[in-house]
Amino acid sequence: MFERALKGLRLQFGTQMLSVATVALSLFCMGAALLALENTGAMVRRWGAPVKVTVFLAEGVSLEQVDTLRRALTGLPEVEDARYVSSAEARQSLSAGGDATVASAPVELFPATIELRLVPSAVTADRVASVAARVRRIPAVSEVETYRGFTERLRGLLAGGRAAAGIVALGVLLCVLAVVSNTVRMSLAARLREIEVLRLVGATRAYIRTPFLVEGAMLGGVGAVVAVAVLAMVYATLRSHFDASLGTLLGVHPVFLPWTVSMLLIVGGAGLGALGSAAALRRGLQS
Amino acid sequence: MGRSRASQEFRPHFRPEGHFDRTAAHKPILVLENVLKVFRADAPVLRGVDLTIERGEFVFVTGPSGAGKSTLLKLIYRAESVDDGRILFCGRDIARLTEDSIPHLRRNIGVVFQDFRLVPYWTVYENVAVALEVMGLQPRVVRSRVALALERVGLDGRGDERVSVLSGGEQQRVTIARAIVTEPAIVLADEPTGNLDPVLALDILGLFEEINEAGTTVIFATHDRTLLEVSPRRLVVIDDGRCIEARKGLEGLGDALEHRALN
Repeated sequence: MFERALKGLRLQFGTQMLSVATVALSLFCMGAALLALENTGAMVRRWGAPVKVTVFLAEGVSLEQVDTLRRALTGLPEVEDARYVSSAEARQSLSAGGDATVASAPVELFPATIELRLVPSAVTADRVASVAARVRRIPAVSEVETYRGFTERLRGLLAGGRAAAGIVALGVLLCVLAVVSNTVRMSLAARLREIEVLRLVGATRAYIRTPFLVEGAMLGGVGAVVAVAVLAMVYATLRSHFDASLGTLLGVHPVFLPWTVSMLLIVGGAGLGALGSAAALRRGLQS
Repeated sequence: MGRSRASQEFRPHFRPEGHFDRTAAHKPILVLENVLKVFRADAPVLRGVDLTIERGEFVFVTGPSGAGKSTLLKLIYRAESVDDGRILFCGRDIARLTEDSIPHLRRNIGVVFQDFRLVPYWTVYENVAVALEVMGLQPRVVRSRVALALERVGLDGRGDERVSVLSGGEQQRVTIARAIVTEPAIVLADEPTGNLDPVLALDILGLFEEINEAGTTVIFATHDRTLLEVSPRRLVVIDDGRCIEARKGLEGLGDALEHRALN
C-alpha cells in the first residue's frame, strides 16, 4: 500500500510538494499559537498565583488575640510568613513618601493588619480564596484582601489566548482538510484510468481507496513534521537572541512545546490529511 | 500452453470469504435468461435475451454498432446491471451480487477492450501484474505468472517497457496478457481488433483462438466481417435487442448477416 501511495506521490511531485508546504504553513501558525499559549500559561503560573494576602483586623482587637491569630495563620502550609502591622505602623508606612496630610491623619483611620507572605509554589488562587473565606469568619478579622484583580486579568489574558488559539486551530483544520482534499482530488483525476483498470481486474473498494488515504496521511504528516521543525528552529533562534532579556522582563524563561503536543501536531496533521483524502474519495470515486 | 486439471476447474470466488461451489464446474459457464436492459424507456437495448454458453466455447457476438454487444458484455462483468431476467455465471445469478462481491466476480473474468484500457505510465509488467496483485498473491508467484502470460502473447522480455511506447498491436497483446494472467474461466473481448489493421486483427484473433484451445471460454464481440468469415466459430447476432443464434461456420451466418448493415 505504501509503495502504491509513494508511486502516486511521485506522479504529481510538484503539486504534492506545494500541498505539503501549504499544510506546513497552516500547522506552523497553529504551532506558533500553541507555543504562545504555552508561555503565556507559564507567565500566569508565575505571576497569577497570589503571593500576598492582607488580613484587616477588627477594631478593639487585643494584642493577645492578634498574636494567637498570627500564630494560627503562620501554621498554614501556604503561609511563609505572617507579620503584624499596627495602625501606627501602617500610617507611618503610607506617609513614608513625605505626605504631611497622611502623617497628620488620626491613627484610627489606618486599620491594623496581618500581612501574609505566601509560599509561591504551594498556593493556587482557589486555595487562597478558600483560606480567605475561612479567615473572614474569625471575629477578630474585618476583611481579607487577596489581590485577585491582577490574577483575574492575567487569567483573562490566558482565556483570550486560548480562544484565539481555538480559532486558529479551526482555521488550520479547515485549511488542511481543503488542501489535502483538493490535492487528492487532482490525484484521482490524473489516475482515473488506473482506478478504472483496478476495478476491471477485481480490486476491492478498500484496495483502491487505501493508497489515496495513505497519500493524504503522508501529505498531512510530512507537512506537520516540517511545521514543527521550522517552529523549533525559529524558537531556538529567537531564544538565543532574547532569552536573557525575556527572562528578566517576563519573570519566566520561554519553553518550547512539550513533546506530547509536538507529537499530537504530527499525528493530528496525518489524521487530518487522511480525513481530507477520505472526503475527496467519497465524491471522486462515486463519479 | 497446457494447463493443469486443477487450474481448469472453475472456482467462482464471488464472495469475499472465498465461497467455492464444486457443482459450478458441471454447469454451463454462462446462461442469460430473458435479459432486459433499458437505457431509454422507449428503446430497450436488450429485450428478452436468452443465451447459453458452454465451458470452453468460442462465441462470436456480432451486430451493427449500437446493437448492444458491449452492453451484453458489460452485464456479464457487472459494469451494468440487468433491469429484468437472470444471468447465471456457473449457476450463480450475478445480477443479485452485492457490491462487495462484484470484484470477486471480475477476478474470474478477463476483459479485453478496443481501446486497450492500459495505464500509460505503468510498464508492461505492471499493467499485467495488477490483475494478480489485487488478489494478494505473493510477488514471486506474480512474477512467474506474468512472465508466462507475456510469453503466451509474444511479449516475453518486454516487461520493463512503458506501454505508452508500444504499438497498437503490442498494447492489445498486453491487454490480453492482463486478461489471461489470472487464468479466468471466461475472457470477454469487446471489439478487440477495432483499432488494428487487418493483418494485426487476424493475429489477435489467432491469439484468442489459442487461449480458447487452452480451455478458456471466449466471447468475442466484433462487427468485423472478415474475422467472422475466417474463423468458423459459433455466431450469435444481436438483432433488435434479441440474440439470434446462427449455426457454426460461415454457412450458418444466415439471413441475419445478409440483411444487417454490418460495418
